[in-house]
Amino acid sequence: MKLLDKYNRISLLTTILVIIVTGFIYYFTISYILTDQVDKDLVVEENEIFEHVKLNHNLPEVFKSEDLKILFKNIGQDTMPRQFSNTQFWDDKEKEQEAARGLQSWVRVNGVNYSIHIIESKVETEELIRLIFLITLGIILLLIIALITINRLVIRNLWQPFYDMLRQIKLFNVTDQNSITPLTTGIEEFRDMNEEISAMSTRVKQDYQELKTFVENAAHELMTPIAVMNSKLDTLIQTGGLNDEQGTLIGDMYGTMGKLTRLNKVMLLLTKIENNLINDQEALDVRATIETACSEFQDLAYNKELRLHTELTDVTLFMSKTLLDILLGNLLGNAIRHNRPGGVVTVKLNQQALIIQNTGKFDALDASTIFRRFQKASDSEGSGLGLTLARQICENNGFRLQYSFEDHLHTFTVNFK
Amino acid sequence: MKLLVIEDEPGLRDSIRDYFTAAGNICETAGDYPSALQKINLYRYDCIILDITLPNGNGLDILQEIKRIRYPDGVLIVSARNSLDDRLQGLHLGADDYLTKPFHLSELLARVMAIVRRKSYDGNHLLVFNEIEMDLQAKTVTVGDHPIKFTKREYALLLYFIVNKGKVVSKNALAEHIWGDGIDISDNFDFIYSHIKNVRKKLVDAGCKDYIQSAYGMGYKLHDR
Repeated sequence: MKLLDKYNRISLLTTILVIIVTGFIYYFTISYILTDQVDKDLVVEENEIFEHVKLNHNLPEVFKSEDLKILFKNIGQDTMPRQFSNTQFWDDKEKEQEAARGLQSWVRVNGVNYSIHIIESKVETEELIRLIFLITLGIILLLIIALITINRLVIRNLWQPFYDMLRQIKLFNVTDQNSITPLTTGIEEFRDMNEEISAMSTRVKQDYQELKTFVENAAHELMTPIAVMNSKLDTLIQTGGLNDEQGTLIGDMYGTMGKLTRLNKVMLLLTKIENNLINDQEALDVRATIETACSEFQDLAYNKELRLHTELTDVTLFMSKTLLDILLGNLLGNAIRHNRPGGVVTVKLNQQALIIQNTGKFDALDASTIFRRFQKASDSEGSGLGLTLARQICENNGFRLQYSFEDHLHTFTVNFK
Repeated sequence: MKLLVIEDEPGLRDSIRDYFTAAGNICETAGDYPSALQKINLYRYDCIILDITLPNGNGLDILQEIKRIRYPDGVLIVSARNSLDDRLQGLHLGADDYLTKPFHLSELLARVMAIVRRKSYDGNHLLVFNEIEMDLQAKTVTVGDHPIKFTKREYALLLYFIVNKGKVVSKNALAEHIWGDGIDISDNFDFIYSHIKNVRKKLVDAGCKDYIQSAYGMGYKLHDR
């Protein structure tokens, strides 16, 4: 449930409850006041009767009135308690019973007691109350409509900075160049939140950047010692008088140095790609690039007695040539390296996708882990970063890199869309 | 040829000097910005090997100075920074080539030789080693009067060996030279082996001596006999 809805629900419920309660209070107060008024009228009538009896020593004549009836009754020597009551009034004109207020009293005329029954119709009072009730109802409806409208328009407007900020947070990516910008808003809470969030995003980016710079610098700094060791090895093998055993040891060292160098270079490259620092995009003839790459790998494939099979159509992509070369190099290199003698490598290219299939192990690879950093087959001589690099290149260009195992073929698919 | 190595890392500087000196060159060194500037203003070199990151200054400034005074020296930049920008900037400022650290000394020598050849032997595209004659422009090889048909990679290998004659060249250096360093090919030395076997066979078949010999099981050497 949205905050706005929740708030609306609570505020509406409260409003209605309060209005109903006040409506009741209102109704009873008004009806009490009006009854009191009617009672006063009755007392006035009673007094008039008493006055008349005092002056004329007889009962007054009773005139028919639309809303007032006075009844006298001979009660002999009895007396009656004086009391007000709610009663009914027969309206001759309207032909209906109406709520009324009655006053029962008595008067002594020439030694005989008469009961007095004055009844006044409350129909006008009731109508007044009904009118007041209708007006109140109207006000309630107006109020509710006004409340809902205010909530809809004003509150939504008031919360707009919040939604704007939320959108920015959703789009926030620590590797992106653009950061969260604080929005200008007059509302203090939102302003505080915006400022804190944009400050936090800047901090996060800065930390991330520092981490990246550290990785980059570390990799760079490592290059010089590696270069020195490499050059010392190159010098060592010129000294002569080495036997084959020493030669093998030196060969192993060369191999390790080579791995270290490649690992370092791939790490640097990853950092660069993640930072979008390779910006030499151009319109590329992918078919020609693949053909070149395949011819580069032809010797390697031939050496492993592999058949390199291509089904290519003309495709143009707008991307960095450096990155496309690296991507192809990695995928083709893998397809050849992890193949078996006499196997097949198939490269298919169409407008939708680039598909590289190869024979190899008879079991599928674990698609969930192969793209992870430093994940590699136990017998692989690679850096373990090749597929991570390939996937990063694909992500940066909006492609999707997927692995599947079809008909005993390990299949890597780059979806361009 | 006469070279200047501008490199702040003593270990690397000495290795480069030893390797080039042993190949019969004169090799001077400078370890920081001021001494490098002093040397280039006093002497001329066939090629200057220039490290971009130097104490007390930037190697690119030295390159700019060389170009400003229009010294004819060839310049090869070596840098630990494999950044495309650095490379482009270096080449834009007039460097002849760019090599990323770490590199093999044999690769450095091959690059320097290529620069020096381009600079000083105008009109002469022939590289002669005993009876082997390589035309660097037409990319052909002849032994005696017999032209030998080499593939692109075989040609590159032979040229690399001749430039590094008398030196032991590791398989790794060979692999990186003909493959570039972008691809993991450390598990494909068989491939290097078969290429070298082909080169040797073609040379011997053309009546050439078998100069290329395996060295300690980890590399090869073109004997200068």
